[in-house]
Amino acid sequence: MLVPLYTFVKGDTLGIVVLVQDGDTIAALAETIADAASMRVAPGSEMTVLAGGKRLDPRATVSSAGLTMLDRVDLVMSSERAAPASQVGMSR
Amino acid sequence: MLSRDEWLDLARKLDWDFSYVTERDVFPEVTSGSPWLRQEEWKDWDEPFRTTYAEYVANQSAKEASVRAVREAVGQAADFQKLHPHWLSALKLHAATLPLAEFAAVVGNLRAARFGRDSAWRTMSTFGALDEIRHAQIPLVLLHDMVRHDPQFDWTHKFYHSNNWVAIAARHLFDELLLASDPIEFAIATHFVFETGFTNLQFVGLSSVAHAVGDRMFETMLKSIQTDEARHSQIGDAVLAKIVAHDPARAQYLVDKWFWRTWHLFAVVTGFSMDYLTPLASRRTSFKEFMQEWVLDQFVRTMEEHGLSRPWYWDTFVESLDAYHHMVYASAYSYRATVWFDFALPGPEERVWLAEKYPSTWPMFEPVWRRLADRWRESGPGVEWHSHGATPVGFCDLCQLVLSGGTPEQNTAVTVTRGDKKLVFCSEPCRWIYEQEPSRYEAHDDVVKRILAGEAPANLLELLRKYFGLTSATWGKDVERGGYRWLGEE
Repeated sequence: MLVPLYTFVKGDTLGIVVLVQDGDTIAALAETIADAASMRVAPGSEMTVLAGGKRLDPRATVSSAGLTMLDRVDLVMSSERAAPASQVGMSR
Repeated sequence: MLSRDEWLDLARKLDWDFSYVTERDVFPEVTSGSPWLRQEEWKDWDEPFRTTYAEYVANQSAKEASVRAVREAVGQAADFQKLHPHWLSALKLHAATLPLAEFAAVVGNLRAARFGRDSAWRTMSTFGALDEIRHAQIPLVLLHDMVRHDPQFDWTHKFYHSNNWVAIAARHLFDELLLASDPIEFAIATHFVFETGFTNLQFVGLSSVAHAVGDRMFETMLKSIQTDEARHSQIGDAVLAKIVAHDPARAQYLVDKWFWRTWHLFAVVTGFSMDYLTPLASRRTSFKEFMQEWVLDQFVRTMEEHGLSRPWYWDTFVESLDAYHHMVYASAYSYRATVWFDFALPGPEERVWLAEKYPSTWPMFEPVWRRLADRWRESGPGVEWHSHGATPVGFCDLCQLVLSGGTPEQNTAVTVTRGDKKLVFCSEPCRWIYEQEPSRYEAHDDVVKRILAGEAPANLLELLRKYFGLTSATWGKDVERGGYRWLGEE
């Protein structure tokens, strides 16, 4: 099922609405958001998706992460490699 | 024969006691406004600058003659075409958003001319309605000649008849402000907040910018309109004083609500024009400096004179002076084909100027503009879509503008569930306004919800063409088509 989400990239100037499948992983969601904002924000190598202030597991799916239609999701990108992607985010 | 001063008060004050209907029947609260007060309470309502109808006609006739003379001298299509192309975009933005809003203000004034609670107020509102007809007609006639040269000027009249997202936002604001408000809310919102609080920014600040860029016609038009505004805006102060005396909480609420709503409109219309669409050589002060000079100092002083407090969100508002219009402009630049005017990409010298004017926030915007410049370098001139978004954007359920509250570091959008509906607001003040009177707003869907309901196309190109009313000739582009010499030098 398609799930529209309000998404915000740190460093960007507006919120955009991305459509994802409820079975998509959080890692795929991150890629979709980063691509949608790419004309304003340069993609980073480290990506962290947050909802309600909590980091989401990149291996989780949109539905298992509890995201529902028109929830707010934030994407933080960094060019610096920090902790392993499996713990805090994901690498591009 | 009586002199003017001997008969004017008698002519201004024509209220009488009703014999076969009640006062509440003649002035129902639903159309006259809250708090409902007996006429006795209004009888000392007073406008500081009194005008007779004969004086009004003579003054307006002289002003019209002056505008016509300037139009003949410098208001022809050839004169407009000599203006800097960046400034022409500012002109298109104003030309679309203001004239038919002024026409809607005719309705608001006429409602007050019937249901305002004092006859002097009703007379002033009658003059106000005549003023607003003029404010709609002047820009329509001036810019009509430009349509044959530049189809984007067609939006001077078309804008409010379209479902363009900016038009949806502007209608959401002006329908409530000018068409749905009772005379008390209209007087406080339009005459006090909008006309007294903000339009100096437009008619004095922007007028001086128009002078600097050499646009004598726009400057003359603004000044001519401003003299009307200054006269009928005095209704607001007098009505506010009365409401403060009888219901200070309602007075504070109306001012708080409309100051925020009005701020968002001017941040876009005037903020874009002053900080981005005015050629750098003609800029003197920033939008923020104009706001501080023409809005903040005067508004705070007036609020204090009325015994009111600053709006509860004052700190948020002051912070947004450094960020909001920059957030919206960068967002709109990257979705420029969704509107009817062109955008300028700020070059290195402009970014230095903006960094000096906005030292606390510009470092957050600099990477966005560098990124957009890089995209132009990759594509080369003329390839608009490489620096243009294709994904739908989110819109605030109150102001209907893009979700650009806060800063690039921290967007302040908040989602709220009400019943079976999920709402999103760009800021806490927008959320607060919605939650004070949800029944006023809940039937209105933003563009995203229209897309999800199948009322509007999700595909961007279809959305532009079929829903926003744009064509490849009219949709917004980079004003230089990406052909900036500095792109190859920076």
